[in-house]
Amino acid sequence: MSKPTIAIFDFACCEGCQLQFVNLEEELLDLLGVADVVEWREAMSEKSDEYDIAIIEGSITRLEDEEKLKLIRSRAKVLIALGACATIGGVNKLKNNFDDLDEVKKCVYGKDASKPHLATQETKSVGEVVDVDFCIHGCPIDRAEFTYIVRCLVMGKTPEIPEYPICVECKANGNPCLWDEGQVCLGPIIRAGCKARCPSNGFRCFGCRGYIDNPNVEAAKEVIDKYGLNVDDLKTKMILFGSRQEPTIHG
Amino acid sequence: MSVKKLAKEDFAKFVEALIEKDNVIGVQAKGERFDFAPLESAQDLRLDYDVTLQPPKKYFLPPKEVLMTFEVGGAYASEYEDETFVLLGVHPYDVVGINQMDELFSQDNYDTHYMKRRNNATIIACDVVTPSENVFASSMKTAVVKEGFDILLTDLGDSYVAEAATEKGEALLAGAAEADDAALQAREAVWAKNQKALNKHELECDAAYLPKLLGRSYDHNVWDDMARTCFSCGSCNQVCPTCYCFNVQDDVNWDLKTGQRERCWDGCLLDGFTKVAGEHEFRDQRAHRFRHRLYRKAKYVPAKIGGQIACVGCGRCVGACLPGIANPVSVYNRLIDDLGIG
Amino acid sequence: MCQCCSEKKDIYLPELATVVKADAMNVTEKYLKLSMDGGQFDYVPGQFVEVSLAGIGEAPITITSSPTQEGGFELVVRKIGNVTNAIHTLNPGDKLGIRGPLGDGMYPVEEAKGRDVVFICGGLGLVPQRSFINYVLANRADYGEVTILQGTKCFDQRLFTAEIAEWENRDDVVMLETLDEPDEKWNGNVGVVTTLVPKVKTDWSSAVVSVCGPPVMYKFVLMALEEFDVPHENIYLNLERKMKCGVGKCGHCQINDIYCCMDGPVFRYSDLATMPEAI
Repeated sequence: MSKPTIAIFDFACCEGCQLQFVNLEEELLDLLGVADVVEWREAMSEKSDEYDIAIIEGSITRLEDEEKLKLIRSRAKVLIALGACATIGGVNKLKNNFDDLDEVKKCVYGKDASKPHLATQETKSVGEVVDVDFCIHGCPIDRAEFTYIVRCLVMGKTPEIPEYPICVECKANGNPCLWDEGQVCLGPIIRAGCKARCPSNGFRCFGCRGYIDNPNVEAAKEVIDKYGLNVDDLKTKMILFGSRQEPTIHG
Repeated sequence: MSVKKLAKEDFAKFVEALIEKDNVIGVQAKGERFDFAPLESAQDLRLDYDVTLQPPKKYFLPPKEVLMTFEVGGAYASEYEDETFVLLGVHPYDVVGINQMDELFSQDNYDTHYMKRRNNATIIACDVVTPSENVFASSMKTAVVKEGFDILLTDLGDSYVAEAATEKGEALLAGAAEADDAALQAREAVWAKNQKALNKHELECDAAYLPKLLGRSYDHNVWDDMARTCFSCGSCNQVCPTCYCFNVQDDVNWDLKTGQRERCWDGCLLDGFTKVAGEHEFRDQRAHRFRHRLYRKAKYVPAKIGGQIACVGCGRCVGACLPGIANPVSVYNRLIDDLGIG
Repeated sequence: MCQCCSEKKDIYLPELATVVKADAMNVTEKYLKLSMDGGQFDYVPGQFVEVSLAGIGEAPITITSSPTQEGGFELVVRKIGNVTNAIHTLNPGDKLGIRGPLGDGMYPVEEAKGRDVVFICGGLGLVPQRSFINYVLANRADYGEVTILQGTKCFDQRLFTAEIAEWENRDDVVMLETLDEPDEKWNGNVGVVTTLVPKVKTDWSSAVVSVCGPPVMYKFVLMALEEFDVPHENIYLNLERKMKCGVGKCGHCQINDIYCCMDGPVFRYSDLATMPEAI
């Protein structure tokens, strides 16, 4: 069996998820033993139009990026959305909360707002532009989950990405509930798979992995009441990663 | 078997000696709460704890464990952890939980992975000193235990009564003085108190009646009512000393030729727990999953273990459930109120 | 160190088997004949095995061959998940892991003796039933009238067509087949399998009726059988559930009080009366 070829592309993002590849250190060599990377702007100068697996980092904020992404999709056998920006639109979707995007642009870039490379539109996740085969969730991604998914794909197997929420992993780690410590943790409605990294270190879940397929809104309302909060208190916490979020893709 | 008495300072020496010769896992503070953790010094031991965050189950059925290794296209080889250890400070309700799990993992098909750890363990139980805010062991008749441990400690203030129930326990207590009548009477008083005091939620019927109660409750509206605010987050499963459902997954090493099969905790409350390839999900309603857990505790599992109720009243699920719907006693009491006993 | 476990078998450890024969039956179904490397493999119709592909995982598959057939045992696998996809890539000589046979709920091969037997199969339901059918046919004199009903969605999904043709040609078997969505290649019965039930000539009061098909099929078949007052204790259902361990521990296949893996996968309908989750 010949090694599958991988090409890595980035759109609107901080490239922090790709940085996690580099942070694999020795494991990166293992990865390169099972797959050939043919394009990766952050780490190599070669480019290629032929690849089996396309890994897409970042969200889509420009028309030209939509076109580029569609081209990549047409060339790839498997397309993977990498990291929160790609899977759910991520932090970049904050701007979708405003009605007038030109105003937003002016506010951020001042007099440079009209420069052509800043001609951006509403933020879209990768899945809102093309079909996505697999999502590697998180901001940044979890390295162990990423390498597990890569091994699954080269074995020809669909990886098991949790459908259940963070609480499962948080409780398995033996943590007390952060709600009892006054934090508005999004764990009960956010997809697990990060081993509850934030709550296990005392920080509430920010929701970077996106909502589970079937979050219980009724339960969330009940809990807000129980803890003397209102819906806006919760929305404020959800806005960072949960703005105008389309349901994430299975898998 | 004998009943000994150890002054507190002698007990500390006993613990230090234990740490010298075995892997001791003892109850310690974790922030403002408590949990089992490897014990390095007798000073860190907190036998006055109320309840541990996790039950001691994880030392027999870890959240994740390797069952076997394999070669692709080749043979499979069982993997075992085979080290002795001492669990120090197990409350009576958790002793009952462990005993029930022992029965479930050894009956019908003997689970060598669970049982090897279990057989390697020495269990030093201790009577409850500080009842936790949600404990209802008295209602479940698990506030006091007479068996299922190697040693049982009862705190009498300046000393412990230590009862050996097995050869293993007897050997550890060799050399300690016999407990006098006064100590034994004081222990009876602790037991009598705990039989009543560990009851922050009071079940309105005899626990033994629960299987019959549930026999009449399948279509009751309590399941829909309560599950309306269920996150399906499985927190109740994860903290339960008698939840033992698991998932099994393969992972390969980077050579793609060798790998391991792992089992990890699962939970019947979780969406997808009953989903087969092809997407059909047999218990796809939150209410049905919510009901299933409470039926397992008081009807389905009891049928496998001679009628023992598989909820030991530790109260962990009550505290772990964010919307506050997991308390088995509230559900069972509502059924009793509506349907009566009979 | 604990010695007591060393004499006990690891219930999760597969044993190796070799693929003796492998054939694609159609786009989604593959037929495999396997032989245990350790030799001996005794089973009863209705039992299943956990099939392991190292690195991919394990899946429960009911044995389709009858123990009356010589030389290994047979499986038919629909391509539907990781393990079954990988099974489709196997060729003769390849190795795979097997645990089993598993399941204490088997087909009533003894109880059915001297009585009529009616097999009702929907789609892939023929695969497990074929074990029982061929057992009965191998001991034909022991049983009364034998009727086989097979309903399939479309022509190209029909399985074991040569065997079905053989059964049709036998004087001592009534074989009725129907298609849900027929095309020009089909000139037989049209409709779901329940439409065949009124055509059966059998002693419904004593016949053993064995049913297997997709989850949605059972309640309609049971309604059809009610019309003929078939006693519930004579009806056997082969149920499918998610399974992981196959040995009554992991909890996935639980149906109310019972475990599909341990108590089934074949159940007497009357035993399911108090199991609302079953059908």
